[in-house]
This record gives sequence, structure tokens and C-alpha cells, in this order.
Amino acid sequence: MFKAPVWLAGRRTVVLAAAVLAGVLLIGVLVAGWATGGHSDVTDVDGSQSAVMYTAGHRPVAPEFTGTTLTGARLNFSSYRGQVVVLNFWGSWCAPCRAEASTLASVAALYRSSGVAFLGVDVRDTTASAEAFARSFSITYPSVADPGSAITLDFTSVVPIAATPTTLVIDRTGHIAGAVFGSATYPVLTTILAKVTGKTAAVAVSR
Amino acid sequence: MTDVRVPETDPFDSAPADSGGPPRPGPGSPAAGPFGLADWLKWAWRQLTSMRIALVLLFLLALGSVPGSMLPQQGSDPVGVQQYFSSHPALAPWLNHLGLFNVFAAPWFAAIYLLLFASLVGCVVPRTFRLAGSARTLPPRAPRNLSRLPRFAEYATSLPPAAAAEAAARVLSAHGFRLRRPTAPAGPAGTAAPAGTADSGGGPGAGDRPGDPEEHWISAEKGYLREAGNLIFHLALLGVLVSVALGGLFGYKADRLLVQGYSFADTQSALDEFHPGRLVTAADLPPFTITLNRFDASYISSGTQRGQPSSFDAQVSYTAQPTGPVRSARIQVNHPLSVDGASVYLIGHGYAPEFKVTDARGQVVYNGPQPFVAGATGNFLSQGVLKVPGAQPEQLGFTGVFVPTAVDIGGTLESVFPAADNPVVSLIAYAGNLGMDTGVPQSVYQMDTAGMRQLTASPLLLRIGQSAKLPDRQGTITFTGYRQWVSLAITHDPGQLPALICGMAALGGLLLSFVVRRRRVFVRARAGQDGTTMYVGGLTRTDASGAFEEEFASLAAELRSAHHKAAQDHAAPPHIPAAPTPPEGE
Amino acid sequence: MPVNLALGHVSNDFLIAALVIYSLSVVAFAGDFAFGRPRRAESSGRVQLAQQRAAALATVGTAGSTATAVPADAQDAAGSGAVGSAAVGSGRTDSMPEVALPALRAIGAAGRWVQAAVALSAAGVVAHTVAVVTRGLAVHRAPWGNMYEFVTALTCVAAIFFLYAMIRYRAWMLGVFVMGAVVVALGLAETLIYTAAGQLVPALQSYWLDIHVTAMTLATGIFFVAAVLGVVYLILDRYAKRVAAGRAQPGHPIVGRLPTIEQLDRLTYRTVMFGFPVWTFGVIAGAIWADQAWGRYWGWDPVETWAFITWVLYAAFLHARATAGWRGRRAHYIQLLGFLSLTFNILVVQVFIAGLHSYAGVS
Repeated sequence: MFKAPVWLAGRRTVVLAAAVLAGVLLIGVLVAGWATGGHSDVTDVDGSQSAVMYTAGHRPVAPEFTGTTLTGARLNFSSYRGQVVVLNFWGSWCAPCRAEASTLASVAALYRSSGVAFLGVDVRDTTASAEAFARSFSITYPSVADPGSAITLDFTSVVPIAATPTTLVIDRTGHIAGAVFGSATYPVLTTILAKVTGKTAAVAVSR
Repeated sequence: MTDVRVPETDPFDSAPADSGGPPRPGPGSPAAGPFGLADWLKWAWRQLTSMRIALVLLFLLALGSVPGSMLPQQGSDPVGVQQYFSSHPALAPWLNHLGLFNVFAAPWFAAIYLLLFASLVGCVVPRTFRLAGSARTLPPRAPRNLSRLPRFAEYATSLPPAAAAEAAARVLSAHGFRLRRPTAPAGPAGTAAPAGTADSGGGPGAGDRPGDPEEHWISAEKGYLREAGNLIFHLALLGVLVSVALGGLFGYKADRLLVQGYSFADTQSALDEFHPGRLVTAADLPPFTITLNRFDASYISSGTQRGQPSSFDAQVSYTAQPTGPVRSARIQVNHPLSVDGASVYLIGHGYAPEFKVTDARGQVVYNGPQPFVAGATGNFLSQGVLKVPGAQPEQLGFTGVFVPTAVDIGGTLESVFPAADNPVVSLIAYAGNLGMDTGVPQSVYQMDTAGMRQLTASPLLLRIGQSAKLPDRQGTITFTGYRQWVSLAITHDPGQLPALICGMAALGGLLLSFVVRRRRVFVRARAGQDGTTMYVGGLTRTDASGAFEEEFASLAAELRSAHHKAAQDHAAPPHIPAAPTPPEGE
Repeated sequence: MPVNLALGHVSNDFLIAALVIYSLSVVAFAGDFAFGRPRRAESSGRVQLAQQRAAALATVGTAGSTATAVPADAQDAAGSGAVGSAAVGSGRTDSMPEVALPALRAIGAAGRWVQAAVALSAAGVVAHTVAVVTRGLAVHRAPWGNMYEFVTALTCVAAIFFLYAMIRYRAWMLGVFVMGAVVVALGLAETLIYTAAGQLVPALQSYWLDIHVTAMTLATGIFFVAAVLGVVYLILDRYAKRVAAGRAQPGHPIVGRLPTIEQLDRLTYRTVMFGFPVWTFGVIAGAIWADQAWGRYWGWDPVETWAFITWVLYAAFLHARATAGWRGRRAHYIQLLGFLSLTFNILVVQVFIAGLHSYAGVS
């Protein structure tokens, strides 16, 4: 009934099956490795993936944006060029944002005289709640309202902003030098700022 | 599949299913030599690809799916899983270890279907080769003794054997059978046969001696498509599995609740839930922005179906990219919005009452909508919380119920219709510490009252525009209005179309394999003293449905009448009107 | 569009009529058992001949060929003469396989009770179909959107399918079982899960609904018939085994009039073969509908999961028939298990286990 001898079909099947199985395993291993691999132009700041610094020359460009502050004034981000900017994405509904708020306020005060500007991006929020938040933590730096997450969208295309809060440190040339994913702590934030401005916290406060 | 039937009772195959080589000894057989690893692997492979194991695996697949439908599953009902843990504290961790809260992603479930598909592939591939082989070869020669076949017919005709065989060939060919005729009488044995009548290698001594003038036969075979359909079906199932894997690797699902008048951009931090496939990152999300301009839900207002929703309609405007043009669209149930490779579905909706809260110091600390979620009581009676962490000196919180069409029934407020015809909000006020300052993320729809004290003994009932002063001079709250919200699902599944195509291919293959039967019909004409005896035999492979019986009966009748007619034409010279001659053998 | 309550009442009236007519047909089928002509199924004669040949084939080579006698009452095996042995070239008598009598003549030959039963069944089917159609006209949509409508529709499919199978395969002795089951199912639907005609929730307004639920209704109706046949098979098989073991008398008044085991097995198999592609198509159509409505074509929703389990079990049945040691009784257990899971899906999962599918309309 067969054109080809039967025994050849049997052996062929075993070889084919073994080859398919091996191929699948190989592809699976490669894919798994690729999927979980990281990037090489990013170094950790404190040993975990929650804060990173971008090496000079590999820093993404921070997108331009304009917006309305909580007080109703127009703000253009390009006016911040030449300063180091700490851009903090936050919301009044967000509990980790409350945990980092006083840290941000005090670091802002610390580095104000060193030419570091703090700017907030208030996401998915309403004005009254946001103002109440700022009052609670004595935050004096402005925040731009981003209820539709449009500014967040622009920044997510260059830095993987996954959740709120996220804090970006932007250098004087408008490139993103460091990022904190999650609540910003005092040591992490000051470490990044020290590297970007060249001034440690102690030096900054003494000025 | 290794057919486990005894070869002798399967007359379809001239050779047993897996013969052709030296008999392979099984493990433990005394005839075996050293039984090495290769032999064990071969034995295991043969077991895996047997029908019996396929049956067992099918059972396991069905059985393994049962807990996936009974227990709450992590992927679709994570809240239910949490509730199960709290209601069955001893049992739940064990079930979790067994993977029963995520059955369809569990390794053991994957093992079952992967083994099943390995078995499938191991069967299908050799059968594909076999089909290709048999499709190229002609039917086997007609057996000498056709009466031994399951279907048999015998009749006489006056046609000479050669003409009878040819007439039979014409009838069978008209039915689409593939024919084989005896090899032409040749000289010494071993001469190459003419092309098209190649021998299929039946053993020595079987069939005719070439040139035997007494033997005329036709072999006919039909129905190769059945096996092809069978193979297509099984391979298409494999294709469905691959498509599902594609979707799992490269697809994603995301959810977002959007209040009327607000917009959102499709970025990870703006989504309520994001479930990427294994190879998907947040960067793969298409950068569209959607604004919910208007949402209308209409409900049946009278009759037995009063209160049932009759239509949902969301009017949105969207941009596919931040700098792109603004387009408007309608999203309805069953009519998703397709934007830049993703599909946006309208999944649900609800009410978001709007509040204005003034704290003890007179500052407006909250002013906007807060989505409430409809419970199981029906008619969109919705529950929610309002957290005001910015209130000074103490944080405020409210738990509340929004009643769209409020009617006081026996002292309790109930909703009698899902539309907001008479909206009332009922609130219980708290003051204290909301627990948000520790930084642990909280759900926007739940409030932890552990650090708070209840301010009001009985609920505050507010209609639109009404305010209530909070006790202890904590401030005031005003129910300023309400909006509606929709929940949108954003999905992308590159395996969707391949899965559909494979599903339809599976269906096509299935129908083919059910409708088409592989069958063989043999006709022999043997000359006798007074005419030719025709023997017709037929058999079919795995005719479990018995339909070949009728086909053979009608074929045999047709052959006989064709021979009868041919005999009449043969007997009567064409230029004389034929006088009816009594048909032979009736 | 408002519901046409008058047509809804008409539908209900026709359904009651169908129920009554079906009940009468069951009585007629039973009457055929008690008072009808004593004979087996018409086609059994041919089948027996084929079986004898197959049996002889297996015994060739052992002690001679067995001369098997054709049963004396097989007068329907017309023209088969006295060919019982497997010997070759047995004379010049024609041995032609029988071509079946036309259906109506066969019914006529089967006696008055069968004629009455078939006629009543046909009338019942007509009334039932009218009931289903008018229900659809009353609610301006396909009439299988909730549990009650689904059960009435699937029993209609089962009745139509059985009417066809019964006439085609001359299987009227199975009528008492299948029609009886239809009567029971309809009665339960009418009394326990009746819901007045009404509109569907908008989540279900889609033409893919019609396609998906139609296919599932058709398949369920067909599997319903297969399940009844499977139960009859198991009864018959047990009886045959007891006869073979000498523990029961052959020629039981009811069981002896049923078709042979093999015929029943084949009829059941053909029924499942008919229903399985329809079920497969229904699952695919459901996936398309789910994708439109909920954004994913398969989410292991409990109803989806149980439809999958049902599919796997029927696939196991089809596999079992090709596996030695799993044919016969075991295969039919599998088939009945598949129908149980189907019923479980309809009655329990859809009603009680929350999921996206909850729309049974049962209060």
C-alpha cells in the first residue's frame, strides 16, 4: 500500500518528532531569555529597579509640553531649559504620593538655590483636591494639571512610566538623566541630584 | 494513530498497520536484546501516540477544566480569589499550591494539552506521509474471492467478460472512483508494466497471472479526502493552539473607567488594569486619547421587562496620535472602536455623583465626581466611597449609596428604576486618618475606617443641590450633581484572526472527514457456460456509520442495470428495432 | 418594539397542543410494542447478512466455514435467497444486496400503530415548530434567548431530527423513548422555567447571538436524541449480556423488538457525527460573539469552559469508537457523560455560577 518502504516512514517520524521537539525547546529558551533581558545603558541607583540613571550620551530627550497650573496660569516647559528640573508625576488620590510629598518639598527647598527647579504633573485629578494636597505638605512649587494623561503619554514614549508616582530628573540640556519609579526617598533623590548637579546635599544646603 | 485493531480483521490494508520491518520486541520481551534508551524512547513515543493515551488525555483535559469553572480564577475574578482565601483560610492555600486558582495557566494543565498535541502531531505526521503515499498509488488488485468481502453481490450477464468489465469501469468512473485495470497481457514476467498500472507490491502469487484470458476485473477506490479532512482538522486544532499562544505572547488587555466629560491617554499609568502578553511592554500601547463626550443608556420603562437596558451608547472623540486629528465615534456594546491596532470595547457603565466638600477651615478640599459601582441589588443602586485626605485639621471620608430613582419603601431607600429619575445620595461621614500617608496604595473604591471615627449616627440623605453640615464643625458636603461613567476594555490580540481561520479550517476538515468515506469496490467478470458471472465486492475503512451499505446496494443495482442495458444493445443490431429480449439471470 | 402578547399566547397554545400530540404519539409507539406486528427492524435482515459475512471472514481458516441460517422472519430481506454460507460461487442465483423500500411503503408495512405514531409525531412537530416560530414573531427576535425558549427550541430540533432519522432508518421502535423524553423535557420547561415573552438585554443584541445560540440549540437537540439512544443502547447491551450469560430469556417483549445493538450503535454514532460539527461551529460563533461584546474571544468563562468540556467529551466518544476496548458500552458512557456536562452547563452553570453569560431570565 505504501510507495515508500514502511520502515523508513517509521524512522522518519521519530527523527522528525525529535527535531520538532528540540526546535521548540530551543526557541522557547531563546524567547524566554530575550523577554526577560534588560537594557545595558541603564544602571541602577540603589540596587533595585525602582530608580535608574541614564549615562551621559544615552539620555532620552524630555518632550516639550505646555499646560495650566493649579492656580490657572499657563506654563511652558521650554522655559525651564538651562535649569535642572525635577518632574514629579503625582495625584491627590495616590497614597504613595502622600508618602513622598514632604521629601519632595524639603529637597526642593534644599536645592532651590542651586538652580534646581521642581515641577509637578498632577494626573487624573481635580483642582480642589490637588490644591488641598499642596497645602497639606506645604508644596510651593507649581504643578501642571494633566487630567487626561496627555503629558504622561508624551513622557512614557521616552521613559517607561508605569505608575504614579514617578519622578524624573532632567538635566540642563533638557535630557532625562534619572528616574524614580515609585515613591521618591531622600537618599535616592539626593543621590541623583548630586550626580546631575555636581553638588551633594551638604554642599547645596551650605550655599 | 497506531490502530490497535488486529490486522487480520482489517481487510482494507493488505499489510498490517505497523508491519514492514522486523517485529519490534516490547520491553521485557525475552526475544529482546539489550533494551537501550532509544528503545524505551520509541516505546514511550508509541504509547503517547496511541489512541488509548489520546483518550486518557482528552479525559484529563475535560476533568482539569472543571475546577477552572467552579473556583474563582485569578485572571478573571481576582476579587473572588481574595474572598475565597478569607472564607476558606485553611483550604485556600492548598488549592493555590495546586494551581487551582489559575487553572488554565497552570503548568499541569499546560502539560495535559501539550502532551495531547504531541500525541496529535505524532499521529498526524506519519498519516500525512501515508496519505501522500496512498494517493499516489493505485488501488490494489481485486481479490480472487470477492464473496469474502463485507459487501457482496453476484449476478449474471450475457456480455463477454471483457466488455462487462469495461462497462463496470465506465459506471464506476462516472461515480468518481479511481480505477485500476489488470496489466495488459505481456511476454515474460518481469516486463515493466505500462505507466499508470503500477503494481502496489502485493505478495507473490496473489492476483492474476498476467495474460490470463479468463480473468477480468476492475478495482475502484474513492474517498481520499476523508483522511485529508481528518488531518486538516487535527492540524487546525494545533493552529488554534498556536494562535492562542500568539495572543498570549503579543497581545494585551487593559481596562479604564472614564467619567463623562473626561479623557484619558492610552499609557500604562493611566490605565486601571494592564495585562500585557509575555512579550509585550507598555511601549507597545498605541498612543491614542479618548474623550467621553456623552453616554446614554436607555431602559425599558414599562411591561414585564421594565428596568432592563435596551441600549448603551457612548459618544467619544479620539485622536490616534497626540498630534493627529480629532475624530468622533460611537462605541456601543458589540460595536467596538478600532484605533491603531487596538480595539476599545464598551464593557459597563455606572453613575459618578459629584460632591463639593469644605473642610473645618473653610477651604474647598474636594470638588468633582466620584465613580460609584452598582451592586447586585439591581436598578443601579450604587455604592462608593469618597476620600478627602486634604481636609484640615482632620481627614474626612464618606461611604455612600447612590440611588438613581429613589423611593422610600418601608423606611429604606430603594432604587426602582435604573435611570436617574430621582437621584438621592445617602452618606455616612467619618473623620480621622485615612491611612494613606504610609504610602501603601489603596483602592479608590474602598476606604479603611480603622483609623477613623464615624461622625453621623444616621446617614445623610441629599438630593441634588442639597448640603449637609458635618458634626463637630468638620465642614460641609454638597451633592452637586452626577455624571455617568463607562468602563472601556482595550485589547489587542494578534492571534485572533489566525484562531478564527484555524477554527473554520478545523470545521471544514471535520465535515470532510465525516461526510467522505474511503471505500473500495471490486468487480470481477468470470466467463461461464451460459454467459458471464459478475461478482461485485465492496468494503470501506472504518465505516462506523453504515452508510456504505446503501451506497454499495445502489451501486450494485446500477452495475447490473448497466450490464443489462449493454447486453441488450450488444444483442440487438442497431438497424433493427430491438425486440425486447428476456434479460438473463432474472 | 413592543412585544406582541397575542402572538405570545398563540405560541404557548401551540406548544401545549404539541405536548398533547407528542404524548399521544408516545402512546401509539407503546401500542406498537404491545399490539403491533411482531418483527424486528426492517433493515436488520441485511445487516445480519453482512454480519454473518464478517463473522465468517474471521473464522475462515479455522474449522470450516459456518453455515449460518437466515432468520425465518426476515421476509424483508427480499431477494437474498438462501445465501448464508461464505462459500464461493454458490450457483447461479443472483445475490443482490437489497435496496431499501421507499419510506412510506415501509411505514405502511409496519402496521397501523406505527402509522398512527408517525403521523402523530409529524403533527406534533408541525405544532411545535409553529409554537417556536410564533414565539419568535412575538418577540421580534430569534426565539431562543432565555432558558424556556431554549428548551422548547431544542426539543423541537430533537423531534424534527428524530422524525427524519426514524423514517430514514425505519427506527420507529425507538419512538417511545425519544418522544417520551421530548414530552418530559417540554413538560418541565412549561411548568418549571416558563418565562413570558420579552426583550433581551442589549448586551446580547447581535446577529452573532442568533448564529451562536441557533447552532447550540440545534446541536443540543441532536445530542439530546443521541443521549436517549445511548440510554436505550445501554439497556439493550445489558439485556444481551444477560441473555448470553443465561440469566435472562431471549425474546423479551420490549427489548426483543428493538433494533440490534450494532444498528443502535451506528445510529447513535451517526447522530453524534451530525451534532459534533454543529456544536463546534456553535463554539466558534460564540467566540466571535464574545469578542464583539467583551473584547476577547475566549476567557474561560464558566459557560465557555463547560462548552469546551462538552466538546472534549464528545470528541473522546468519537475517538473511543476507533479504539479497541473502548467501543460499545464504554463509548456510550462517554457520550452520556458529554450530554450530562451539556445539561449541567445549561441548567446549573448558566443559572447559578456567575459569569458574563448570565441571562437565563429565571427569577
